[in-house]
Amino acid sequence: MNFYDFHIHSEFSEGESSIEEIANRAKLLGYKGICFTTYLDDKNKIKKTKEIVSKCSKRIGVDIFIGFEARNISELDKLIKLRKDYDVLLVKGSDLLLNRKAVETKEVDILTHPEYNRKDSGFNHVMAELAAQNNVAIEINFREILNSSKNTRANIMHKIKNNVEICKKYKSPVIICSGAVTHWQLRDPKVLMSMGCLLGLELSESKKTLSEVPENIVKMIKERQDEKWVRPGVKVV
Amino acid sequence: MKNKKLKILKPTLREKERYIAFQVISEEDEEFTYPDLESAIWNTMLDFLGEEGVSKTSVWLLKDCWNQKTQKGILRCNNKSVQEVIASLGLIDRLGDTRITFKILKISGTIKCIKEKL
Repeated sequence: MNFYDFHIHSEFSEGESSIEEIANRAKLLGYKGICFTTYLDDKNKIKKTKEIVSKCSKRIGVDIFIGFEARNISELDKLIKLRKDYDVLLVKGSDLLLNRKAVETKEVDILTHPEYNRKDSGFNHVMAELAAQNNVAIEINFREILNSSKNTRANIMHKIKNNVEICKKYKSPVIICSGAVTHWQLRDPKVLMSMGCLLGLELSESKKTLSEVPENIVKMIKERQDEKWVRPGVKVV
Repeated sequence: MKNKKLKILKPTLREKERYIAFQVISEEDEEFTYPDLESAIWNTMLDFLGEEGVSKTSVWLLKDCWNQKTQKGILRCNNKSVQEVIASLGLIDRLGDTRITFKILKISGTIKCIKEKL
């Protein structure tokens, strides 16, 4: 089975480790592919990151994708316009309006930690239905659990469990990512799978979140790279 | 009478076990001893699952299977709590001052089968 981790920060965004260190560790842990997530500070960043990543990917033997994480609505609009230039579009959850906009947009692949820094879970049944319609995966972020402890960890896990339950009911895709900022935060796929089980997923569903859901995103990436692709659901014939 | 052993339980009454082979990957390839690792696993599991939760797992780090050179070892638990044990291993990010990661090598129902992975 092929496993993917689609939310990793390298030294190009808020991370500490280099792309090479992370890719080597991912290979060691048995990942087929990873996605480096960064923020859109300037448009030249896409080209620079692409060059470094393609060299690294061939040398190490891990599929490496480039993802951009939108932190607000204006950034999301800019990223949608540049959609063909990079692989994965993630939206940083927390703000309710942004969460809603993310699940309404077909171009978005992943809504990361919708419960981040919130008292509520930041996600409801309406959003779950929209996420299922537009094929936007809802992320379970392992770093959030790893970096917290005691009552904070319990609260975060409770919110994630609520979100997972809603996603299961409305059949919205769920994805588990490490959200690592250093290569030491990358975890074995089996660890992420087990955490998924503790958060309310069945073992088979948990496996899907690490393989089938990311594979669907990879399929979409390949479709998007085709010259005939215009926007989701529209192709030049 | 004191030295008399308990009669062995019938197979149907025995707890079904699972063995988890793992490897510790650490900064600068530091070699950890059995007590270091044992205390880290116990502390994290007690923090994460609580005393009652750990009692349900029947977890045990096998001393004679810990290889200090290769940093590979075997954890035993019951078949119903494999996910809890593996998730707890994932939450250990430091051993002393050294950053570590666990790589899960194999999960098996028999120790004979899992020893091949070490």
